[in-house]
Amino acid sequence: MTKIALETAGSVWKVLVNVGDFVNVGTTMFVLEVMKMEVSYEAPREGTVTAIHIKEGDIVEEEQIAVEIEDGES
Amino acid sequence: MVALNHMSWEKEIQEIEKRKQLALLQGGESATAKQHKKGRLTIRERISALVDPGSFEELGLASGAASTDASGSLTSFEPANFLVGFGKVDGRRIVVGGEDFTMKGGSPSTAGLRKSIYAEDLALQYKVPLVRLHEGAGGSVGGSSGKATSTSDPVYSPPRFRSVAKAMGTVPVATAALGAVAGLPAGRLVASHFSVMSKATAQILTAGPAVVARAMGEQKSKEELGGWKVHTKNGTVDNGAEDEIACLNEIKKFLSYMPNNIHELAPRLNCDDPIDRKDPTLSTIVPRDRRKSFDMRLIINRIVDHSSFFEIGAGYGRSQITGLARLNGQPVGIWANDCKFLAGSMTADGADKARRFMELCELFSLPIVALVDEPGFMIGSQAEKESTIRRGTAAVLTAAMSTVPWASVMIRRSFGVAQAAHYGPDGYVIAWPSAESGPLPVEGGVAVAFQKEIAAAPDPEARRRELEQEFSARQSPFPRSESFGVHDIINPAETRPELCRWIDRVAALLPALLGSAQFHIRP
Repeated sequence: MTKIALETAGSVWKVLVNVGDFVNVGTTMFVLEVMKMEVSYEAPREGTVTAIHIKEGDIVEEEQIAVEIEDGES
Repeated sequence: MVALNHMSWEKEIQEIEKRKQLALLQGGESATAKQHKKGRLTIRERISALVDPGSFEELGLASGAASTDASGSLTSFEPANFLVGFGKVDGRRIVVGGEDFTMKGGSPSTAGLRKSIYAEDLALQYKVPLVRLHEGAGGSVGGSSGKATSTSDPVYSPPRFRSVAKAMGTVPVATAALGAVAGLPAGRLVASHFSVMSKATAQILTAGPAVVARAMGEQKSKEELGGWKVHTKNGTVDNGAEDEIACLNEIKKFLSYMPNNIHELAPRLNCDDPIDRKDPTLSTIVPRDRRKSFDMRLIINRIVDHSSFFEIGAGYGRSQITGLARLNGQPVGIWANDCKFLAGSMTADGADKARRFMELCELFSLPIVALVDEPGFMIGSQAEKESTIRRGTAAVLTAAMSTVPWASVMIRRSFGVAQAAHYGPDGYVIAWPSAESGPLPVEGGVAVAFQKEIAAAPDPEARRRELEQEFSARQSPFPRSESFGVHDIINPAETRPELCRWIDRVAALLPALLGSAQFHIRP
């Protein structure tokens, strides 16, 4: 399992995946707004999204786990 | 048995040879095997991998502790557990030293400590770069003699760290952490212009797990306390490399941009990348939408000589990018903002990183190229806790007192007090059409300054956008170029040719900058 941790604090602007979605390497999963800029988080590996711990509008902290991806297809 | 000739020193010559053989065994076969089993090289293997083949000239191979029997014959010889000597990297002389972990875990023996301290003196005396390859635990409670009552240095001895400090102001110092490094070696490791740690084998510890557990009650492994994930993020070391050999290659690369000392210029290489190379990609790389980010490293790599960018400190102060590169063969310092991380703002650690980098360029007379996309100091409660304003202002004042040539390319934003850190005195300033500058970015600035007017408007959102548009026109680079507020406004595709012409102009000024750097007191 891969846990996607946030590199900085910010607010969640868009969540583009749902639990159960299959993502490829480079699929944009969510976008934070940090200091008035959009910061996209892309899947570092392919797999199935098993958990999403953020929702749009959330104020989030550095190192918070945002999304979890499991090996293989759903 | 043949009687010894009165004129012959054969017995002693044989003993010299025997001692040499024993010294080369280091801690012995089993200690070497143990070192290899843990995936680590011995100090001799490390030095061989660093320097040009056959170039290592060792000092003090004969130092160590010898035992003799009643007849005066050698029964054992334990070499000093620090190696020091000269070597060449890409044909240029350096001083290299490092602990021998196969003996006493690198904790210094009497002669080992003397050789260790001598490394800085030697680099200062010969005015050549110093490379330290660290794996060792510093002193132990028994002292270097291993006895509870050791003789201390005379009270009038010069401070041990004086030469460490002087070396940092005189010659390039590059260090690697290749195994566990604690205590004195850890202090020396960070007293360098470039440091790198092996992700596979190194930890850096002020004190190890046992001492920490006893003093603090904290149960942590060496890796948790001082592994690469901790120290490449906090700036203790500049870079993390996969393994020992990768660390040594990073040191070689770093040295290739460095002069031998502050009295010489860094070597300028032949450049096979055309200096008039235009790059149309650069004309479309900055999105018109201000909320969208772009890849600053791509811009750097397309401007400088092909494959010449060597990033330093990518893991910490990440809103700022610092590194060395070449323009028409001339080594330069590159400093840029990374808008993908905290919008590229000047954070406290980013400011520290930038300040240290400017000092490096100042010390070794390297021109600085700043690619500017600075939204201002980082804001918020975390930023206040970190004293961003003080640490950021230190960076601003460092730039203000810089004496090396600067070229600042206004890529996008250039705002607030923080932007001043990106422009050196008498700098060459060119702007891309995407450049914006002013006291405050339009988005935040308009919303605050026209709060009442926006709220009173029939459609507040529309009024805000209208005002933002009006102010962003004022922040455009065209009015600034009309009033000669920049040297020129250019097509981004032409950035490399522009900077290559600049570097040829300023290269002639560099010899006058040689010698000691002056640093004023800073906030």
